Amino acid sequence: MARNGFMKRGDNPPFLLEGGGLMKMLKKLKEKLKKIVPAKLASLKTKKKKGPVKKTTACPPKDIPSFQETIAVNTKFSHPEDTRPRSTMPQELPSCYNQDKIVLQVRDPRWLHTYWELRNQTVEGLKSKLGDEFHRAKKILRVYDVTNIIFNGSNANSFFDIQYNDFATSWYIDTAGPGRSWCVDLGLMLTDGRFITILRSNVVSTPLDSPSWITDEEWMIPDDVFARLYGMGFGLGKSSPVGRGWQQRLKQGLFSSGISSSPVRKAVKERSFWMKVDCELIVYGATEPDAQVTVQGQPIKLRPDGTFTLRYYLPDSKQVIPVKAVSADQIDERTITPIVTRETR
Amino acid sequence: MLKGYLCLVLHGHLPFVRHPEHENFLEEDWLYEAITETYVPLISVFEGLVSDGIDFRITMTLSPTLISMLSDSLLQERYLKHINKLIELSQKEMERTKWQEPFRRLAEMYFIKFSHSRDTFQKYNNNLVYAFKKFQDLGKLEIITCGATHGFFPLMDVCRDSVRAQVKVAADHYESVFGRRPRGIWLPECGFCPGHDEILREAGIRYFFTDSHGLLHGTPRPKYGVFAPVYCKGTGVAAFGRDLESSKQVWSSIEGYPGDYNYREFYRDIGFDLEFDYIKPYIHPDGVRINTGIKYYRITGTGNHKEPYVAEWARDRAAEHAGNFMFNRQKQANYLNDLMGKPPIIVSPYDAELFGHWWYEGPMWLDFLFRKVACDQNEIRMITPSEYLGENPRNQVITPSFSSWGYKGYSEMWLQGTNDWIYRHLHVASERMSELVRNYPGAQGLLRRALNQSLRELLLAQSSDWGFILGTGTHTSYAVRRTKDHLLRFNRIYEDIKSNSINENWLSDIEYKDNLFPNIDYQVHQ
Repeated sequence: MARNGFMKRGDNPPFLLEGGGLMKMLKKLKEKLKKIVPAKLASLKTKKKKGPVKKTTACPPKDIPSFQETIAVNTKFSHPEDTRPRSTMPQELPSCYNQDKIVLQVRDPRWLHTYWELRNQTVEGLKSKLGDEFHRAKKILRVYDVTNIIFNGSNANSFFDIQYNDFATSWYIDTAGPGRSWCVDLGLMLTDGRFITILRSNVVSTPLDSPSWITDEEWMIPDDVFARLYGMGFGLGKSSPVGRGWQQRLKQGLFSSGISSSPVRKAVKERSFWMKVDCELIVYGATEPDAQVTVQGQPIKLRPDGTFTLRYYLPDSKQVIPVKAVSADQIDERTITPIVTRETR
Repeated sequence: MLKGYLCLVLHGHLPFVRHPEHENFLEEDWLYEAITETYVPLISVFEGLVSDGIDFRITMTLSPTLISMLSDSLLQERYLKHINKLIELSQKEMERTKWQEPFRRLAEMYFIKFSHSRDTFQKYNNNLVYAFKKFQDLGKLEIITCGATHGFFPLMDVCRDSVRAQVKVAADHYESVFGRRPRGIWLPECGFCPGHDEILREAGIRYFFTDSHGLLHGTPRPKYGVFAPVYCKGTGVAAFGRDLESSKQVWSSIEGYPGDYNYREFYRDIGFDLEFDYIKPYIHPDGVRINTGIKYYRITGTGNHKEPYVAEWARDRAAEHAGNFMFNRQKQANYLNDLMGKPPIIVSPYDAELFGHWWYEGPMWLDFLFRKVACDQNEIRMITPSEYLGENPRNQVITPSFSSWGYKGYSEMWLQGTNDWIYRHLHVASERMSELVRNYPGAQGLLRRALNQSLRELLLAQSSDWGFILGTGTHTSYAVRRTKDHLLRFNRIYEDIKSNSINENWLSDIEYKDNLFPNIDYQVHQ
């Protein structure tokens, strides 16, 4: 259970799955269940939020190769779909890694993302210890606000619960809390209101979405001056109010567009139906391979067999195209002059 | 009189795309297009400035994957093949458009451009890294490094061993190429998490960049906003914040310079416009139409009607826009100088590939800007971050905020419904890599090769480019494939090492395919 790489800032959950800890924990819980002391936990003030925004399944989405792409859309670096044969290596990643693990990451000042994996034996263990209670229990993500504390499992500033469904293995969590620290327990809410932690995540911190209220005495600066520098930093000119800088920033975009799209504006399609027609003219012929040939007075190159092909864009006009061949010994000469008129109506 | 500093930063990066197993591989064109349209034109601008005795300063990322591709002999050969075909096509075009004067002149323009590109490429022994190095050695260009494969660090925060590997592999690679340690780093996608500065410090890196809110929302408040760097609390690594006003002028799709109607239209390419049989030899062998790089029209207006490009008009606009940019920086510097009581530093970072590839006139605009700043005024001075820190060593100490320059400013571009599935696999691989380092210290021979390759595969899987493409939701199959292929290779090596059954033939094959970072040491992943 090499979860250590995923734990940050020394938050070692006290009763998690290290070396059979789970089984011990379950035993204790079972004993507790017998005693039935629901009142204490049930009375804990919970802040419930609507968390579910998106669920994902355990397996990564199957990528279905598209055979419809015959024309690569104009992106910087075009990506037509790849249908080339592959080597004999397995093509798909494992759907699980046989680990008990929950990972928490920050998406932005407000949203967290978590994903988890439970081993079958862990689930089976829970089922056999809890019996029917397991199926009646709600599957819960408990989100703790652990800002400025060393979290020990029971000292969170506050928490709220999100109920997730049986198939989810990841969740986006709306904390509405910029500048706070968070930890998530994956667990079960028993019918008597008690909460069992199965997995505990790492701790993460959401960034601020506005200027810090902490100012540095050594580097004090008057508020109004900072307000101007703040707005200017977002390219908003000299008089933007401090609080709105970030929101304005979001509106104006200016984020990196990466490798596959352009910051340069694309023409709007006026209507979807369209047609275009153009004309090209192919002039071709053959003579002795060592002859010298000119077309409209310009020398051209012959192929080794003495043939030639010329291709021109043909604008609306009348084109007189004298093709002249002179033999290598300069004695024979032929001129043929096609005359072509294009008129578009 | 000096009022402020201007620090231009171009972030040059492409993901590692190299497929020796295929004769033609479409995504390799990303590199070839960028060479012709961005890297060679930039080098030509620098060459011109040096030969005209114009002093200039610019900071540029060359990401380790980009350096690896530019230095790779297979890709160099393939580039020559690619540019030769383009030269051939432009010659055919000169003939085809003989009765259509504006187009014939443009075809000639491309013929000259492509020929010049090939000449420049060959002049530097087919390795443009030498060209960039030359300008660094001259003191005009400061080359900074990046994450080894451009992994997005904030979403590796739960496995910092991987962040450390990204940084250390990059810094060591930089040193092997440029003969000194990198002073600065462009954090991939500008993604910063408090604490990662410690990893930069370990690698001897002195500064990095954040988007504006990285500094503005730092704690305590940064006294000078983004107009002076700060030192990270506890590590002393400097952070420079992006100025959005100057970004907007170049970058904005609404008010930015690149949208000027006289500039070249990106979305009309003869690869799509011309008759199929004629263009077939120059598009994908399967007949998939692609951009060739020959584009005949100017933006013209908002509609679909396009007029032919007129090079002289575009050049005039580029000169005007450079003058406008400089004028606005002077105004900005004057205003900020009054407010701050000292010269501000205005940091303007852009994707390098914006210049030339998207914005065809971008390199020309830069050329005008350098010349005007050097000759027409004395209020702003171009500077590199190292120079600035050398002259202004006293700066405020704060903790910058988590931030990125991606969509909405944080992780969302790389963490949404279309790409969040990758992290459970990436994180397990990171964890396993750390386990291998712990269990097999100081390995030699075949085992060492396997361990080194496992780190290469992990790094390649971590490229933010795959997550980004998945996030855009279109043409995702290559990105899905790359993510899976590298992870599958990693997993196999991991299993093979643990079961003591490394298959040397198979290992040699993937060493040959994923051949970057020849001197990698797997033990940096801890």
